[in-house]
Amino acid sequence: MKHLSTITVFSQNTPGVLYRIADLFLRRKINIESLTVSEIELPGQSRFTITVRADGDLVEKVVKQLYRIIEVSKVVDSLDHELIFKELSFIKVHTKDAAARHELERLAQMSGAKITYVTGRFLVIEKAGTEEEINNIYQLLKPYGIKEFVRSGRIAVFKE
Amino acid sequence: MESLVQAGVKIVFGYPGGAIMPIYDALYDYQDKIKHVLVRHEQGAAHAAEGYARACGKPGVCFATSGPGATNLVTGIADAMLDSVPIVCITGQVTSALIGSDAFQEADVIGVTTPITKWNYQIIKAAEIPEVLAKAFHIATTGRPGPVVIDITKDAQFGRLDFFYPKKVTIASYNPNLFPHPKQIELAAELLNNAKRPYVLFGHGVLIAKAEKELRTLIEKGGLPAAATLHGISALPADHPLYVGFLGMHGNYGPNVLSNKADVVLAVGMRFDDRVTGRLKDYLPRAKIIHIDIDPAELNKNVKTYIPIVADAKIALQELTQKIKKNHHRPWLAEFRKCDQLEMTKVIKNESYPRAGQIKMAEVITMLSEKTKGRAIIVVDVGQHQMVAARYYKPVLADSFITSGGMGTMGFALPAGMGAKFAAPEREVIVVCGDGGFQMNIQELATIAQEQIPLKIIILNNSYLGMVRQWQELFFNKRYSSTRLQNPDFIQIAKGFYIKGEKVQDRSDLSLALSRLIKAKTPYLLEIMVEKEGNVFPMVPSGASVEEIRLE
Repeated sequence: MKHLSTITVFSQNTPGVLYRIADLFLRRKINIESLTVSEIELPGQSRFTITVRADGDLVEKVVKQLYRIIEVSKVVDSLDHELIFKELSFIKVHTKDAAARHELERLAQMSGAKITYVTGRFLVIEKAGTEEEINNIYQLLKPYGIKEFVRSGRIAVFKE
Repeated sequence: MESLVQAGVKIVFGYPGGAIMPIYDALYDYQDKIKHVLVRHEQGAAHAAEGYARACGKPGVCFATSGPGATNLVTGIADAMLDSVPIVCITGQVTSALIGSDAFQEADVIGVTTPITKWNYQIIKAAEIPEVLAKAFHIATTGRPGPVVIDITKDAQFGRLDFFYPKKVTIASYNPNLFPHPKQIELAAELLNNAKRPYVLFGHGVLIAKAEKELRTLIEKGGLPAAATLHGISALPADHPLYVGFLGMHGNYGPNVLSNKADVVLAVGMRFDDRVTGRLKDYLPRAKIIHIDIDPAELNKNVKTYIPIVADAKIALQELTQKIKKNHHRPWLAEFRKCDQLEMTKVIKNESYPRAGQIKMAEVITMLSEKTKGRAIIVVDVGQHQMVAARYYKPVLADSFITSGGMGTMGFALPAGMGAKFAAPEREVIVVCGDGGFQMNIQELATIAQEQIPLKIIILNNSYLGMVRQWQELFFNKRYSSTRLQNPDFIQIAKGFYIKGEKVQDRSDLSLALSRLIKAKTPYLLEIMVEKEGNVFPMVPSGASVEEIRLE
């Protein structure tokens, strides 16, 4: 059964690691849904957060193969309930008139989103949340005319 | 150069070119410490490095220039990756300022080799050289060995540095686990002690860990029948009473067919390749599997493992031997011997000792095995002759059967044989190839002649790409599409390279010709015309279960 897994990879921050990780998923024909990389609290170390939708057995095999990468020190495969996780999104929406702007402000407030940039013609709403929350606000804003939409990959920390 | 000396490198196989000239210039001053063998194609260098590593366990080293030099290494690197062979390839790269500009002889070597290396790295500053090379040798040789590529830009090769070679390399994220979990060992011992039909499958890992003695002690104490994978051959002397033969698609009958009767399987340093398991869902249906491997990713990869043990084979076997009880399994072993008899009457007798017809591959190998008393290193190419050599050569010493298993690289044997002879000059090294594979790295005859490497070469010539032809005969309705070879005169070719050779067509000449080959003190080529449309049996058809093995 395919399900959403979050794979967290800790590695030395050297060039080429991303290539090796991506290649492993490619060989196993697993499509990466999202991927974020950043430096972490330990100097010279990075943390990859990768979400994939795949069979549990396959994910287990890939996790072990990820350990073959010399620079990789730790790999954790988690389900959503084991994590605190979020994505960040920006949604640029048309504002025809003051009434629309007013409505959008209200919608943003209700959804726990922020308005980060305003011009006479559009505004940019910033929403941090789970994939589901971001999908919800996207649907709410759609009727107003979305000019641009972008979301980051997931970042996550472990509950335990 | 100094880094290589410090790493214990005595020999390098390589080919110079523009982007690696500074390294070659430095090599000129190190000729007394490092021997350089000038191959005739970089693929030859990579396979020679593999052959060297396989025969003595030390890392093989090769040099190539940027662009085409480096890409010519690729097949050898991939081969080393699949067969876990420690090689370090040093490639020249264009000057760092030119990287990415499509410069002359520029190729993205790091990009190309990433999926087929254990590790790779591009050096752009001279100061990095000692540390990175130390790391390269450490990574190539420890844990599950594999190929490492170090790409050095031309400006880094020219750079000066304060030399300091690290004695010990530590990589925080890389610590292969050598010691087995004691609990797992106990569980494994208990399982083996209670087994009715225990069965040991051993692979290359036993040779890599130099655990031949430990394997022997274990099976002798437990009375455990043991079978080898293709790369496991020679880890146990072929005449050992508990050795039951060779596994896989063209393996022996008993080891395949009885797999599915075993109740406990102990797999050591092998990876349940599809050529060994046949159809997975019908493989080892009755067995609880204990799997020892240093690479955790191999455990539970292809078969469900009951007791996975991540460890060095030598240490794990030692500890397991202490925990198991003295035992024997005579009736179970007798079943293997019964299968052997069947295989003997149905296959081996006719193959090894034919009375009429053309010479058969198996009879050549059988005779070679008898004449060398199984004490030579046999370096084998890929195809029918490979399976025949695996079946009929009976090595009694370790590290004596070298071939390309995982990749199945035709053209492997001739250069790998050169490397093996450099690694073990005191031993007889005999290359066995087919007429197809011989032509894939035939240029290395020039290297053999220049270096006067006393390598013995046998071509088993059936004028076909025999293995493909066999499949066409059995599974493609005898439609021999592009498998017939119209070959050159190999003896004339050898002569052109100043290598002695002779051709054998008649059975009556075979024995003396083989003796002349073995006695020769110089490189020697023997072309033996064998049966054109011979087939290798037994055979587990592709996608079939090991129980469906065909004897004819």
